[in-house]
Amino acid sequence: MGGRYLARRGAQALLTIFAIVVLNFVLFRMMPGSPERVLLRNPYLTQAKIEQVRKQWGLDKPLIPDQLVAYTTSTLSGDLGYSLKFRGTPVTDVIGQRFWPTILLIGFAEAIAIVVGLAVGAYAGWHRGGVGDRIGSGISLVLYSMPYFVIGMPLIIIFASSFGWFPTSGMLTVGATYPGLVDRLIDFGRHLALPLATVSLGLIGGYSILMRSSIIETRSEDYVTTARAKGLTDRRILRSHAFPNALLPMVTIIAINLGYVVAGAITAEVVFNWPGLGTLTVDALSARDYPILEGVFLLLSITVVLANLAADLVYGLLDPRVRA
Amino acid sequence: MSAATPAVPTVPNLRAERWRLRIRSARDFGRRFSRRADGVVGLVILLVFAVLAIAPQLFVGPLETVTRASGAPLQAPSSAHLFGTDELGRDLLNLTIHGARISMAIGFLATIITIVVGAIIGIVAGFLGGQIDNVLMRFTDFFLVLPTFVLAIILAPVILDVIGADAELLGIRATLLVIVTVIGVTSWAATARIIRSQVLSIRERMFVDRARVIGGGPGHIMRRHILPNVVNLIVANTVLTFAGAVFTETTLSFIGLGDPFQPSWGQILNAAQGSGAPGLGAWWYIAPPAACVVLVILAFTLVGNALDDILNPKSAPRR
Repeated sequence: MGGRYLARRGAQALLTIFAIVVLNFVLFRMMPGSPERVLLRNPYLTQAKIEQVRKQWGLDKPLIPDQLVAYTTSTLSGDLGYSLKFRGTPVTDVIGQRFWPTILLIGFAEAIAIVVGLAVGAYAGWHRGGVGDRIGSGISLVLYSMPYFVIGMPLIIIFASSFGWFPTSGMLTVGATYPGLVDRLIDFGRHLALPLATVSLGLIGGYSILMRSSIIETRSEDYVTTARAKGLTDRRILRSHAFPNALLPMVTIIAINLGYVVAGAITAEVVFNWPGLGTLTVDALSARDYPILEGVFLLLSITVVLANLAADLVYGLLDPRVRA
Repeated sequence: MSAATPAVPTVPNLRAERWRLRIRSARDFGRRFSRRADGVVGLVILLVFAVLAIAPQLFVGPLETVTRASGAPLQAPSSAHLFGTDELGRDLLNLTIHGARISMAIGFLATIITIVVGAIIGIVAGFLGGQIDNVLMRFTDFFLVLPTFVLAIILAPVILDVIGADAELLGIRATLLVIVTVIGVTSWAATARIIRSQVLSIRERMFVDRARVIGGGPGHIMRRHILPNVVNLIVANTVLTFAGAVFTETTLSFIGLGDPFQPSWGQILNAAQGSGAPGLGAWWYIAPPAACVVLVILAFTLVGNALDDILNPKSAPRR
């Protein structure tokens, strides 16, 4: 891969991340409330004291560049401020505890959805107009129209409330003690099953629709006609010629889609009370815990930018034409 | 002498001629659309919901509130309450049909903002090109890559705390207006991209050069020559954007940014979640608003895809 292509994409991603940090700074300044406003409630406050506090917090300096520089440097050094709700706890600590459950949920769901969604889409597109296509595309379109929590709530009612096969909420049974690691994993798995099914189903709809149209486009390509003329079997053409090429655009789509997955996972976590970033966000929202909200936004947006960068680089590796 | 005069094609009545052409193209469009079974099904569903949204009180009376609740809490469907009741004893059929008005109104307003901002940025960037195009497209790309839903979650409470939740405009409460604004601000980027790429090819056409030769300024050309040529694309995109707006509104309301005094479908589902309806097995609390959300989004997607196939020159037929 060309060094210039790499450098250009890397610089773009850095610029985007810097813009996100600036946006975060602007949002912080727009927010209601400031240290001096809290102090103003005290009637015995002297002007000199206000000046002193403003100086102490650096609020006497101009917004740009001084305050912006101070904000950017502390953000880059990992200081995201303190949570309002969990008094005194640094935002990074609160987010750190909630990070892994979300990563597990989204990671497993993406893996399942990519395999199932691409397979269903490829089958439907290859057998366009057939019975399998009609059923597969119909279900995909309905799933695509469902917000994740609309998928999750019926799952709870059917599989948790009525049949009692799975627990309704949480990540582990509260107060349970486990004889061994395996029992702990089984309990975790039972809790993970429904949220995982929710996010996977939500993703499968979109992936299979896009894969279907991608396969349909490759069907009319010359190399497919050539393969057919060579007398290859239908299965072989799909597997070794159409499928790999149809996969290319999906790399970008899956990366771009990550932002929406995050949004969907937030609502799925709320439905199942999954202790991840989603429930953290919604709790912070109702408590108006702005530092937490900003921290989550910063983390998620930078992750999405990096995922897009990774997708572009992978695409460049797979398809030499884009490097030009 | 008269034989040598070249036959000048005369149009006796220019206005009538123009209308004849319009009617013909409308009829042509109607024929192509009616061949799309999925689009027609979607359109019928949308018409039903549009009627419900315009006059919900005709079907179920005024919106039930805590004080006007007509039943006992959390009753399963019965002859008195076809869809059952919620935890406050409100009739769910009543809530769901009134929810149509609120969900559709928010979706509609958010779509207008999205499309207007997206179309203006797309047309200006595509037509003027150069440095302006560069700056606008960097800006657009930034919004495309950003997880806009998470941005919406932060923006909404900040705006709400600044203007106060009890403000009202045209009978719509501030909470809902904030949702409208936030959806608009965070979702115009895709529209701008699509329209720009179409404008790039239109501005190379001969009639644009002709307009420039007779002294048309950029503003005039964009309004009178470019815009009419991207209207088809805008229409198809509007319908698809509407689906997205209803989707986002439902999600934002579900996580607690809706308004309990003007409940949309997402807000009803938020109340259902808050009252523990899924764990209690109260399926009737969840099924009606959830089914409406899915039906409306599905219908908009079906109509939008059909329109896109017919009106968008770049989209290959999907079927």
